[in-house]
Amino acid sequence: MNPTKLRITGDSGHELRPIVMTTYNECVMQIQQMLQSTVAKGDVVGEDVDLIEELGLASLDVMELIEQLEDVFDIAFPINELGDVRTISDLASRVQQLTDR
Amino acid sequence: MSLLEKLEAAQRSQDVLKALGVNAIGATIDVAGSATEGEIAGNRVVLAGTNNYLGLTFDQACVDAAVAAVRSHGTGTTGSRLANGTYACHAALEDELNAFLGARSSIVFTTGYVANVGTISTLAGPGDVIVLDADSHASIYEGAKLSGAEVYRFRHNDPDDLAKRLRRLGERASRTLVIVEGLYSMLGDVSPLKKICEVKDRYGAYLLLDDAHSFGTMGANGRGLAEAQGCEDEVDFITGTFSKSLGSVGGYCASRKHDINPLRAQIRAYMFTASSTPSVIASTRAALQLIGRRPELRTRLWQNAKRVHSALGSLGFTLGADFSPVIATIMDSPQQAASAWQMLLDAGVYVNLVVPPGAPKNLSILRCSLSAAHTPDQINQIISAYALVADQLMDRPKAVAGGSI
Repeated sequence: MNPTKLRITGDSGHELRPIVMTTYNECVMQIQQMLQSTVAKGDVVGEDVDLIEELGLASLDVMELIEQLEDVFDIAFPINELGDVRTISDLASRVQQLTDR
Repeated sequence: MSLLEKLEAAQRSQDVLKALGVNAIGATIDVAGSATEGEIAGNRVVLAGTNNYLGLTFDQACVDAAVAAVRSHGTGTTGSRLANGTYACHAALEDELNAFLGARSSIVFTTGYVANVGTISTLAGPGDVIVLDADSHASIYEGAKLSGAEVYRFRHNDPDDLAKRLRRLGERASRTLVIVEGLYSMLGDVSPLKKICEVKDRYGAYLLLDDAHSFGTMGANGRGLAEAQGCEDEVDFITGTFSKSLGSVGGYCASRKHDINPLRAQIRAYMFTASSTPSVIASTRAALQLIGRRPELRTRLWQNAKRVHSALGSLGFTLGADFSPVIATIMDSPQQAASAWQMLLDAGVYVNLVVPPGAPKNLSILRCSLSAAHTPDQINQIISAYALVADQLMDRPKAVAGGSI
């Protein structure tokens, strides 16, 4: 799945330069989709579930998840920030900021 | 969790192995009688997990040099390189490393770990970027963390992934230190260094190569992976260790391209730790001469590696990589790896047991490292011991052709 690419148009109707924008909710959905294999069919991982303590991922799994997100959104996610990521919500906010850069 | 609760959790994970009767973390070599044989718990064993690639730890010239140095210069320097700890021998070793590697400058450290932590954390700082191979050694990760730079990983041995990451960095690529190893010590695979060099040059980044396991073992003259792949002039910085091919302990950073001497007054791990003992420097210098003068050591090392690699492949083991001085067999679980490790030890062969998170991809492996000093008989013993493991632990179909047994 690719992030939604929005074409922004100005009031005058003239087309502006196309930019790639991703909303927080799109990030959340993308991550939930990536984590689908960790929960039963039909379930989704909640935004505030602790990925390691509650979902039971290893820190390496989180790193791999981030690598996939880097590719999907074409961003660079520093591993220094790995310790700050506990939930999908943390991850989605940061990914969303990085796509804004 | 309190401080001590963490210790208890760590103890519990070690107890898993202990329950199997395995004490791999605490295996003590009581006597190391030679480069390739020692005594563990009263039994003679062939040492095949030592990184003693050229077998120089008991070389007469190296031993004599160490003995002479301890007699004339004493047992220790009792000071850091910046204070009273730089002796003529430290400076001489740096000159000899420069001559051997064709380097402009080099700096000698007390261990290889310290060389990496010190160099990396000082070369890059806040505002800079480090992009490292995902399978990098702990000392590289540690140095990167300490640097204050932004740190990114790229997929192991994947130049295209590195390129992608450097592209995403845009203009900051010119403030980026890329870090890779030569021979990766856990699975025994080798970096595509020449391609990595092309990528970092395309984006104007710098490259540091940790050649710990390839120095002395690779390249026609033993100058390491950059020599072997013909890209010595492209690598910006090389770090390495004296505790593998050179048979002692210590580390270095060297550069053919840059003058790194100013780092001496910057690297805290150089300024605030005691320098190497003169006897250590003396045996290291003697070993460095031998690396250049005795290419047959490398020939023998690679012959031994090839024999063991093809035999273990024929026995049905899953191997970590193409043959190299490090041969990893990938086991099904930590428990199976631990049982196999104990069986090898009972059969008189010591290798390294690596269980998660020690090896990449959470693998459980038995890590065998070969030496030029292993005799054909010892190689046979290593292979026979693995055959025993294959018989008793693995229900895989055995290959029929190509085995050395």
